[in-house]
Amino acid sequence: MSKLTRRSMLAAAGASAALAATRSFAQGKTTITFAAATFAEAGRGDKLKAWIEKFNASQDKIEVQPVAISFSQLANTVFTQMGGGGGPDLVRFDQTDFFAALPAKRILPIDDLVDASKYSFQAPDKFLNVEGKRYGVVFELANYQLIYNPALLKGGEPPKTFPEFIATAKEATGKGNFGYAFRATMPERSGFWQDMTNYVYGFGGNWADGKQLTLNSPKVVEAITAYKQVYDSGVIPKGADAATYRRMFWEGKIAMNIDNGGVAGIFAAQNPNLGFKAAPSPFPNRQQGLILTSLSVNANTKNKEACGVFINWVLQQAPQQELQGILGAASVATQVERPKADLERAPWLGVYDAQTPYALPQLVLGFETKTLEIQQIVVEQVLKILVGNADVQKTLDEAQSLALRRIERQ
Amino acid sequence: MSEVANAATAPTGRPPLSGGRDRESRWTPYLFVAPVALYLALFQGYPLLSEFFLSFTQTSLLAPQDARFVGLRNYHDLASSSDFASVLWTTAIYTVACVVFAISLGLGAALLLDRPFRGRGLARALVTIPWAAPPVAVATIFVWMLNAQYGIFNHALKLMDLEVGYESWLDNPRLALPAILFTTVWQIFPFSSVVLLAALQGVSEEVREAAQMDGADRFSIFKVAVWPTIQPTVALLALFVTIWSLRRFDLIWVMTQGGPIGATKTLVIELYTRGFVARELGEAAAVGMVGLTIALVVTFVYFWYTQRTERAQGRR
Amino acid sequence: MKTPASHALRMALIMVLLSVALFPIYWMVVTSLTSSANLFADRPQMLPDPSQAFNYAETFSKTGVLVWLKNSAIVAIGTMVLSILLAILPAYALSRFRFHGKGVLGFILFATQMLPEAMLVVPLYAIFAKLLLLDTLGGLILANTAFTVPVITWILKGAIDGVPLEIEEAARIDGCSRLDIVLGIVVPVVAPTLAAAAVIAFFHGWNEYVFAQTLILSQELRTASVGLASFVGELSTPIHTVMAIGVMYTLPAVAFYLMVQRYVVAGMTAGSVKG
Repeated sequence: MSKLTRRSMLAAAGASAALAATRSFAQGKTTITFAAATFAEAGRGDKLKAWIEKFNASQDKIEVQPVAISFSQLANTVFTQMGGGGGPDLVRFDQTDFFAALPAKRILPIDDLVDASKYSFQAPDKFLNVEGKRYGVVFELANYQLIYNPALLKGGEPPKTFPEFIATAKEATGKGNFGYAFRATMPERSGFWQDMTNYVYGFGGNWADGKQLTLNSPKVVEAITAYKQVYDSGVIPKGADAATYRRMFWEGKIAMNIDNGGVAGIFAAQNPNLGFKAAPSPFPNRQQGLILTSLSVNANTKNKEACGVFINWVLQQAPQQELQGILGAASVATQVERPKADLERAPWLGVYDAQTPYALPQLVLGFETKTLEIQQIVVEQVLKILVGNADVQKTLDEAQSLALRRIERQ
Repeated sequence: MSEVANAATAPTGRPPLSGGRDRESRWTPYLFVAPVALYLALFQGYPLLSEFFLSFTQTSLLAPQDARFVGLRNYHDLASSSDFASVLWTTAIYTVACVVFAISLGLGAALLLDRPFRGRGLARALVTIPWAAPPVAVATIFVWMLNAQYGIFNHALKLMDLEVGYESWLDNPRLALPAILFTTVWQIFPFSSVVLLAALQGVSEEVREAAQMDGADRFSIFKVAVWPTIQPTVALLALFVTIWSLRRFDLIWVMTQGGPIGATKTLVIELYTRGFVARELGEAAAVGMVGLTIALVVTFVYFWYTQRTERAQGRR
Repeated sequence: MKTPASHALRMALIMVLLSVALFPIYWMVVTSLTSSANLFADRPQMLPDPSQAFNYAETFSKTGVLVWLKNSAIVAIGTMVLSILLAILPAYALSRFRFHGKGVLGFILFATQMLPEAMLVVPLYAIFAKLLLLDTLGGLILANTAFTVPVITWILKGAIDGVPLEIEEAARIDGCSRLDIVLGIVVPVVAPTLAAAAVIAFFHGWNEYVFAQTLILSQELRTASVGLASFVGELSTPIHTVMAIGVMYTLPAVAFYLMVQRYVVAGMTAGSVKG
């Protein structure tokens, strides 16, 4: 019987060895893994993989293997793997996840791999330098604007103020069309947070002032009240997740969307005849969120040098230019001029670029490393307002005290 | 085969196997169970023990090596949290409803499919298909069917001209749990129906006919002839469905992740949320320990109940 | 005694039952064969549209679905084989022998069925990292088997309880070793239950999600459950593609089940009804 078990263990071991062998078929090459949610996206994922293939073709010692993990699963999965001493070598981190991984020392400083003086980085690069150390380079920067489908708006003109926006959205709703769409569910909590943060910034508020949490400040209360007003006004397709409503948008069934330039790029790629336009978001304040994703090295990596080679390749002129083209109305780590032909073909690119001076990362300023915790609390509480009709002020007071307690504890 | 049978009936001077005094029987049992015991010790026992110790610490998912001992704080927090009380309440409702609906629907299906009719074999096979469908696929199709605008449920309701409008099932705190329950029961009722169909084979025809002769109505026949036979099976099914409901994760996670506002948050969803979303492994472990305790209590109650019934029947 | 009316009512109820049981599967097929425009139409398309079959071709070429299905099959078969190999002897021991710790082992086998995977995934990850089992299908098989072995041992023990002792005694006289008896005599007698247990283990491996999501990193080692779930809430993947993957993931399981369901029903009831 011990023979039996030994045989089964051997079989299992043999199976895994055989599989491990098939995994590193590229003999003699160092394979490094690069996990990102963008690899899973329609429209951009395949192009990004092809972009990485160009790097692989230029190398005979290193191969980068893209790992697509959906946006909603990336943090859970990668964090578990990192905590267990493993995980992908390179990660494209969302800003909140980046700052959550930082204090746990899960991201490798890369000052020795990247000579910053060689590159002209964009301004938000400063967020990736924490206490004098560089924890990655910018992968993607994207602004938020109002994207609209002129064919669905009376007169084809976008609204400029919030009351106008509500009225326009109501007019555009009906006959299977909807005036607007945003996220408001737990499974999409990161996207929900992004959408909500745009309202908060747009109404002149902030989650924190750099020293104190301001989750229940008057401006935030005003913004969340506006969010609730939109939620209740019958202009959004309730229950449709971002995958569904974005598809509806490029199928011509949604009139307006406040979303980032990457999404605008997806719309353009999926339906070149849609003819959508972009305009500043219809809020009192011009300030909107900023998508800031980093390309960072996992502290558990055994291939630090190879990661460095890849990062330096990414920062070269040609790959940067191509990456910016793939990402849509987004910018990359370094300043890359947008080709004139692109701007003429897609005027919305210029509208997004003009938003840059008013763009602010969707973080809790001064509490960056606690953003993920605070996000969880705020999302849970705001849902009580949206679907449970709880009082806005009281609920946000509760969010503030819960968040304070959570911060004190750690 | 017949040779074996013949030999088996032949007289033998050997003692019964279990009482054997030969060399092998002393160690054989241990050798037989050793591999599985070691296997479970490594892949279940050790992880469970570490969870137990984790539950007394504050530990981040990102840096498990930096665990900090906090005593009973995690348990104390759970005991004083009203959110956790509602998690327990949701778990109780979900579990009891799963037991009641999966077993009663399964029993209904079993009674329908028990007596012969043309195509019975095919019908019995087809009705079990939901049980064979992967939970993640089931969750995916139900999310789509329950979609507010384009889901077939709402299309059907509209056709029936019910004044319900676009109900966003999974976003409505009052409807999300019933929707998840419906999905769960759809998936698991075939199991109880299969098991109950087998149990129905044991129903004595004589008792049934005798009851019929006495002019008993259908319900009385069921009560006298059918129920006593299948009652132990029903009890066992109830135990299984309870344990499965306490551990069910993928279906609920893919459909709602416990939302909206915690309306579908059962113990396992709470555990996963604390561990992998809030990244507090210590708190998650404490939730797990509470869940495990509940499952053990349910099992003890089951064994106590079955033994009591067996004893009662033995006395009769 | 049986009136035509009551027969008609019964048949009608059976039709309702079957419709409820089969409709979601049917709807998955229909949705996978619905054009993009019709997905968001005011009136749903009730019948599959064969002209949309290219959607499957696109799904094959644009997603890793074939690789995922292959991996799920490897994991399912591996889990099945390993579970059976591990479970036979302890099931026999629990049924036939009296030994110290038997009660404890029986209890542990039952109690482990209460542990949710989500609870053990973190410590398991740490163990796997030490044993270099991370990111291998073999590791996934080992993890899944830990959750199938207890229930399968339990089921097999129930079946072996029903095997008359006399059959074995005869073989003892012929001088067969205990292992020969188990493999040569007991296993063939309980074969239907063994088949059922095998199927249960197979489905566990085929369906499993939490471990596959966490313990596997490489794209090409991903299983179908993770592949499918990765599209839920994903940026702009069309629902008919998701449903096409759902169909390809569900139908093999259902077909396999229908093929073996005779054994499953016999075995499952033999095992579980006896407890």
